[in-house]
Amino acid sequence: IIKSRPGARCEFQWPSSVAPGHCVCRHLLELLRRTAIHGESNSVLIVGPRGAGKTMLLQCVLRDLQKEEKVQKNLLQVHLSGLLQTDDRTALKEITRQLHLENVVGDKVFGSFAENLAFLLEALKKGNRSSSCPVLFVLDEFDLFAHHKNQTLLYNLFDVSQSAQAPIAVVGVTCRLDVLELLEKRVKSRFSHRQIHLLSSLNFTQYLERVWTQLSLPDSFPDKKFAQEWNAGVKTLCEDKSVEEVLQRHFNSSKDFRSLHMLLMLCLSRVSVAKPTIKPADLLEASRMCFADATANMLHGLSILELCLVIAIKHLNDVYEGEPFNLQMVHNEFKKFLHRKSNSMYNFEQPVVMKAFEHLQQLELIRPVDGSSAKVQREYQLMRLTLDHSQIMDALQKYPQCPTDVKQWAMSAFG
Amino acid sequence: GLAILRTNLKWPNLIFTLFHFETLTFFVLCLSLPENGQQMKAVVQWFMRVSELPVNKLKLLGREPHPQEIFYYECRNCDNEVNVESILRPVKVKHLDSNDPFPDSSDKDTLYVKLSWDSKVFGVVNSTVMESPAEGPSRRVLPTPDHAIMQKASLGEVGCSSVGTPANVEAESLHSATKLSASKCLSAKRRNATARTPGVRKRLELSSECSHKDFKMQPLCRTREQQGFLYISNTKNHHFLTVSLLFLQISPGTPKTPRHATPSIPIRSLQTQQPANILEEARARLHVSSVPESLPCREQEFQDIYSFVESKIIDNTGGCMYISGVPGTGKTATVHEVIRCLQHAADMDEIPSFHFIEINGMKMTDPHQAYVQILQKLTGQKATPDHAAVLLEKRFSNLAPRKETIVMLVDELDLLWTRKQNVMYNLFDWPTRRHARLVVLTIANTMDLPERIMINRVASRLGLTRMSFQPYSFKQLQEIIMSRLNKLKAFEEDALQLVSRKVAALSGDARRCLDICRRATEICEHSAADPSSTGLVGMSHVMEALNEMFSSAYITAIRCASTQEQLFLRAAIAEFRRLGLEEATFQQVFVQHQALCRIEGLRPIGVSEGLAVCQRLGACRLLLLEPSHLGVLQHIRLNVSQDDIFYALKAD
Repeated sequence: IIKSRPGARCEFQWPSSVAPGHCVCRHLLELLRRTAIHGESNSVLIVGPRGAGKTMLLQCVLRDLQKEEKVQKNLLQVHLSGLLQTDDRTALKEITRQLHLENVVGDKVFGSFAENLAFLLEALKKGNRSSSCPVLFVLDEFDLFAHHKNQTLLYNLFDVSQSAQAPIAVVGVTCRLDVLELLEKRVKSRFSHRQIHLLSSLNFTQYLERVWTQLSLPDSFPDKKFAQEWNAGVKTLCEDKSVEEVLQRHFNSSKDFRSLHMLLMLCLSRVSVAKPTIKPADLLEASRMCFADATANMLHGLSILELCLVIAIKHLNDVYEGEPFNLQMVHNEFKKFLHRKSNSMYNFEQPVVMKAFEHLQQLELIRPVDGSSAKVQREYQLMRLTLDHSQIMDALQKYPQCPTDVKQWAMSAFG
Repeated sequence: GLAILRTNLKWPNLIFTLFHFETLTFFVLCLSLPENGQQMKAVVQWFMRVSELPVNKLKLLGREPHPQEIFYYECRNCDNEVNVESILRPVKVKHLDSNDPFPDSSDKDTLYVKLSWDSKVFGVVNSTVMESPAEGPSRRVLPTPDHAIMQKASLGEVGCSSVGTPANVEAESLHSATKLSASKCLSAKRRNATARTPGVRKRLELSSECSHKDFKMQPLCRTREQQGFLYISNTKNHHFLTVSLLFLQISPGTPKTPRHATPSIPIRSLQTQQPANILEEARARLHVSSVPESLPCREQEFQDIYSFVESKIIDNTGGCMYISGVPGTGKTATVHEVIRCLQHAADMDEIPSFHFIEINGMKMTDPHQAYVQILQKLTGQKATPDHAAVLLEKRFSNLAPRKETIVMLVDELDLLWTRKQNVMYNLFDWPTRRHARLVVLTIANTMDLPERIMINRVASRLGLTRMSFQPYSFKQLQEIIMSRLNKLKAFEEDALQLVSRKVAALSGDARRCLDICRRATEICEHSAADPSSTGLVGMSHVMEALNEMFSSAYITAIRCASTQEQLFLRAAIAEFRRLGLEEATFQQVFVQHQALCRIEGLRPIGVSEGLAVCQRLGACRLLLLEPSHLGVLQHIRLNVSQDDIFYALKAD
């Protein structure tokens, strides 16, 4: 049972129920099929927010396309990513490699950048619509390609797609809505302006349905009895009021399926042989982990002195309305607090306080103001706090064995 | 090339080897085999096959060449050293007198030599040349190796026993010589087997893998000139696949070997489908790539360019012309059309012939590569940019007889800008030389490019022959589509007019116009199931296509955003109003966001979650953000107008 634990089931399936997805899918499929079968060059951009299923859509379409025998042998694919191919030089090498043209270049597999470009363009120019094998170029993180020098690669790809050379289809995938504004006008003119916007307009009921389909086991599951029990468990889980509340909160925050999968994975990892169902408590716990505030958590690990400094900074921020501060100011504020407590045990030497202050800087809880030169003595370097006040107060509530006087000092309106 | 491995034996019973080079076979006569283990080269004599002779020179032969005839190649400057590794197998070559008839033999491994060829004329082979054995240790008797091994060795890595020289038909003395040469081959092979560098082996495997998969890479054999590597693969014999490697120094005198790698995309395995219905046909015709028979609406520009270039060609002078216009107005297409017509006129001997070359600033990595590309297109030479510049300078400033006019098209001129502008300077300076006979047509997008980016001496050389292509008007766009469709009834009149008016108003870009029409045919095809449709592309289809291409997705994106994202946008606007600025830090906006959450009755979110919401909006550029490492201190600006946001959120 452990092996067949449905953890692996958190794979994405293109929701056939979502109507726009269906239409978009067909559009893209038709487009690529025409490239493969008719040798018609095309270019298209898939635009949508992160986690909307852009890549998944493309993969689904390609999978369907590969099922057709006519297409199977007739389509070469080149996959590039803007995060991997950071300039045209590497992109060209990658294209040459993926098209298996590298053994053609001879022993010096990759010549100079100029040679590479000339070589690739020559190769594409040699082809024609009826005889060459169509090539599909998938450019992931398309917007990053637009930052390459002169946009040479994009110009040439789009130029090939608009002239009687080897048939190619250029598919760009990006999350930037303003991507067309990044293109130079001659590059833009060569782009066909086909854009597929992948914006999910799903509502909460559909979202719940998705959760249910994601978690439930298919009929083809080998252990029928377990599958039935599991599905019944999932059903009761989905009907639970608290679960619905948690999911509503996630839905409000983001419709991104990836974050939903993260949440569900966290729940599923708590399933074991001894506990073969998901309890609402698991989901609550997972949700708590998802929403946990990372920087506030960091405050729990600070020493009392460092915490005191953070509180002093908070008071300074209140007084001076977010103006930057330096160590000296913070130390003075801290000393004021100590002064009120005559019998304090927090009487630290200046170097110790400085060390604590530097530690805060290393944790990036405070950061130097831009442009303050390094020449300034460290005590007087201006800093800003990168925490919100609510985060400090939350952290103080949870801080283990926080001294009461420190807590009170933090709460008090004045320093 | 063809070289024959020659043993140090008497003519006519020599041992020869063949190279298979794709479909070509090369013969060498080996003059001496290496003696020691260090040297891997064999000295060879090259022979030409009939198919390798220039076709127009075959007339000189005065008779039909015999299919198995080869010609002794007399050329001083070709390299006569080959790597032993590249030797494939022996053949028999018989020397015949020039008057003797060819013997009737079905043995494919016997070749006949009658004449010699020195790349200009045929000559009689001096049989003493053939007979004179190489000096050296030829007569030393070596221990006879085992026959099988010997044969294997002489066959190289081929591993085929069906061919080869039957030792027993040869005279006794020759027989031993065969063994001699074979044993040398053998030892060479052994040495090779151990001495071969890993790099070599890798390359070997690489190419052999290719052939095993029957990979449809058009040119299986490539040469790289500088180092002269040849991949050799025997594709004729199906029962074995040999891949051998030949280290050949390709010198100018070496008979034809492919000089440049001819890269190409693999051939497709299935035929392309022809368009099946009217809409598909229309779509094929409307694709930007399909070349129309004539270019409508650019008659005046065509005429101007044509007469400019034609007059320069006829006068044997040079000149420059600058053509500007926004993208998609047919600049490059018109120039190509002009050249096509001029080429036609030149073919009809109406004007002197000329040479057309084309470079594109976007298709090179660096402005100085322009020199390299020009030189390569003019002469086929390869050189570094500096060297190419020197060569071109020389070419254009020297008087040379029989030089034809060169017409050069420089596309995307602005990309050739350098700080010193020397590339542009040279391009415009060459036509002014007395003997250059160079016509330069330059194309760029901006009309005032010469004034804006060129320094005076460059702009002055460019001259004042300018032409600007105006964006197409709606009538012209309509005419372009009509002429492409060529009486094919696929569009309703109104639909065409709508497209052309819309595009003319926006950009006047013909590419855009064609793309919209193409998309409209697709939409029409999808809605074909609808019984009310006429099968023609109508207004509704065109409208849908226009909407798809021109409408901004911001509004839809805001509507589809999650609740918290929408709230964050509202919070940002609220904060901007409060500050009276168009910018605020995350911290400030977050305070507003918390307040809005309470008003809406939602649970306030934490800072981390708030940052995540903000980053998501930033990723799709509804917001403009500073780098995320600044955390709550990062500044936020809107990338959409506030009205758009209100509009999008109110419509709910």
